[in-house]
Amino acid sequence: MDAGVFDAEMRRIFERTWVYVGHESQVPAVGDYRTTTIGRQPVIMSRHEDGEIYVLLNRCRHRGSVVCRDEVGHSNYFRCPYHNWGYANDGALVGMAQSSGYPEDFDKSRWGLRKAPGVANHRGLVFAKLEEGGLTFEEYFAPVRKYVDWWLNRSPSGSISVLPGAHKYPYPGNWKWQAENGHDGYHGNYVHESWQRLLERAGEGTVRDVRKYRTGGCTRGFANGHGLLERPGGLNPAASWTGRMMVKYPEYAEALKGAYGDEEIEEISARRNIFVFPNLYLFDTQIRVINPLAVDRTEVHLYVYGLDGAPDELNRGRYRAHERFYGPAGFGSPDDVEIFVCNQTGLQASGVDWVLLSRGMHREKVNGDGETVGHSTDETPVRSLYREWKRLMAV
Amino acid sequence: MTMEHQAVHPGHPVHPGTLTRAEAEEFLYREARLLDTLRLEEWLTLFTDDGLYWLPIHDGEPADAKDAVSILYDDAERREERVFRTLHTPVLDQNPRSRTVHMVGDVEVGDVDEHGDVRVLCSQFVAELRAGGPRQVGLNQTRMFAARGEYRLRSTAGGWRMSLKKLLLVDADQPLYNLTFLI
Repeated sequence: MDAGVFDAEMRRIFERTWVYVGHESQVPAVGDYRTTTIGRQPVIMSRHEDGEIYVLLNRCRHRGSVVCRDEVGHSNYFRCPYHNWGYANDGALVGMAQSSGYPEDFDKSRWGLRKAPGVANHRGLVFAKLEEGGLTFEEYFAPVRKYVDWWLNRSPSGSISVLPGAHKYPYPGNWKWQAENGHDGYHGNYVHESWQRLLERAGEGTVRDVRKYRTGGCTRGFANGHGLLERPGGLNPAASWTGRMMVKYPEYAEALKGAYGDEEIEEISARRNIFVFPNLYLFDTQIRVINPLAVDRTEVHLYVYGLDGAPDELNRGRYRAHERFYGPAGFGSPDDVEIFVCNQTGLQASGVDWVLLSRGMHREKVNGDGETVGHSTDETPVRSLYREWKRLMAV
Repeated sequence: MTMEHQAVHPGHPVHPGTLTRAEAEEFLYREARLLDTLRLEEWLTLFTDDGLYWLPIHDGEPADAKDAVSILYDDAERREERVFRTLHTPVLDQNPRSRTVHMVGDVEVGDVDEHGDVRVLCSQFVAELRAGGPRQVGLNQTRMFAARGEYRLRSTAGGWRMSLKKLLLVDADQPLYNLTFLI
C-alpha cells in the first residue's frame, strides 16, 4: 500500500494507455457533454456539431481553471469561469474577454482545449488515450473484441442505451480489489452465500443447484491485461437467461434470429463478465467503471443500460434484477465491497510480502487463439491483469 | 372517491383526509423506533400489500422509476427478501450490523393522491455506525444521511399503513457506501 506505486500506476497505466471514458448514448445530441477523469486528469466527453465525440482536457489554456463543472449537461460552448475564455464543443478557442490585451496576430488555433491524442469508438464504447505511441486501439482491443461484440449482440440491433443516473459506490481501498474481483469465480459460494439463500427462498434455484452452475464455464486470460469469467449459454431456457427470455418474449426470439445465426446466438447467450484493462467491466446489466482516487480510495460507477430493440418489459426485468443484486443497497455488491475493505485492513500486515494468485496454474491451457483458459474458479484472468500491469509499470 | 378507486383499494376509508399531523408524527416515530431496534418483521407490516419502499437517484414519481435505475425500489416481495437477508442469512455487509438512530422532523400532512392516500412530507436524519475491531477499514465511523421523505398513508382496518415510503437522499446521485441497513 505504497502511494508511490499508485502515482506510478496513474502515470504509467491510466494516463498513458487506452482507458474507457463513456458510452456514446450518454451524449446523444450535439452539445451534450459528460465530465469524468482519465487517471487523475479531468476530461470532458463532448458531442460537437460535426456529430463526433471529442475527449478534451478540462483545463482552460489561460490560467488552468476547469471550464465545466457539471457531471452531465448540454451547452453550445464551454466557458472558463475565471476570465471568460470560451471554447467550442470540439475544444476550439472561440474567444477571450477583452481580447485587445492580446496582439492581433494571437493564434487562437494554438490555444484550444487540449484533445486526448487518441480517441476510439467501438460500437458506442468510447476509449481515449492521453499519450502518443504504444498500442493502436485495434491492437489493444483485439483479444477481447469478439466477446464484447457478443455481449452487445444480446440486443437485436447490436446496440445499447445507457440510462440516466448510475449506481455509484466508494470504498476505502485500492482500485485493484475491484479489478480482481469482477472475474473471480472462486468467491461466490462464500461471499454470496446470503444471496444463494435468497435464490433458494424465492424458488429460483437451490443452493446446491446454484453451486453446481457456478462450477460450469471457464475463465479466460488475454493479452493486454484483459480477461473474463464465462458461464455456458445455450438456447434451452433451463440453460441460460437469453434462452429464458426467448421463450418468454417470442418477439425477442424472432428479432435475435432475424439478426444472427444459431451458432452466434449460442455464443451470445453465454454469460460473461468481461474485463477490459484497466478500468472497464462489461456485465449483463451494467457498464462498470473503476475510478482510482488514491492508493486507498476508489469509486466504482455502474451504468445500467437497456438492450435496444428488446421488449420494454424485458429491459424492466433487467433493471429490477440489477437493483436486487448491485449498487449500494443491493444484495450482492455490498458483500463484495466488504471483502475489499477486509483486504485493505489485512494488507497492513506488511510482515507478509506476497498474496497468492497461483490458483489453476497447473491446469490452465492456451488455446489456438492464444487465450489462456482456466477452470471457472481459477485465477487465470487475474494473472493476465498483472502481466500487463507489470509490463506497463516497467517501461 | 370513485367506485373504481374503491375497487382497487378495498377497505379504503370514506374520509381519507382526516389524518392529523399528530397521527402522522406518531406513525413516523413508531417506524423510526422499529428500524432503530431492528424489529424489521414488524416494520414490514406498516406497508400496504401494494406498498413501495423507494430510494430514487433522481426525484420523480414512482412510475418514472420503472424505466430507470433506483438505489432501491422494493415491492412487498423485495422488502421481505431484504428483511430476511438482514436477519436470517450469513450476510457480510451487515456483519457487524449497523446501529442507527433515525430523527424525523418537519412533518406536514399534504394532499390526497389519486388513490385516496394521504401524502405526508417530512425530513429525516439518520446516524449509522458499524462497530468492529480497532483500525478495521470501513468500520467504526459514524455516518450521516439526510433525506427528504414523502410517505403516502392509507387508512385500513388495522390502522394507517404506508403505500409509499420515498426517501430522496441529499446525496442520492453521489457515491454511497454500504446502504444495506434499513434506512
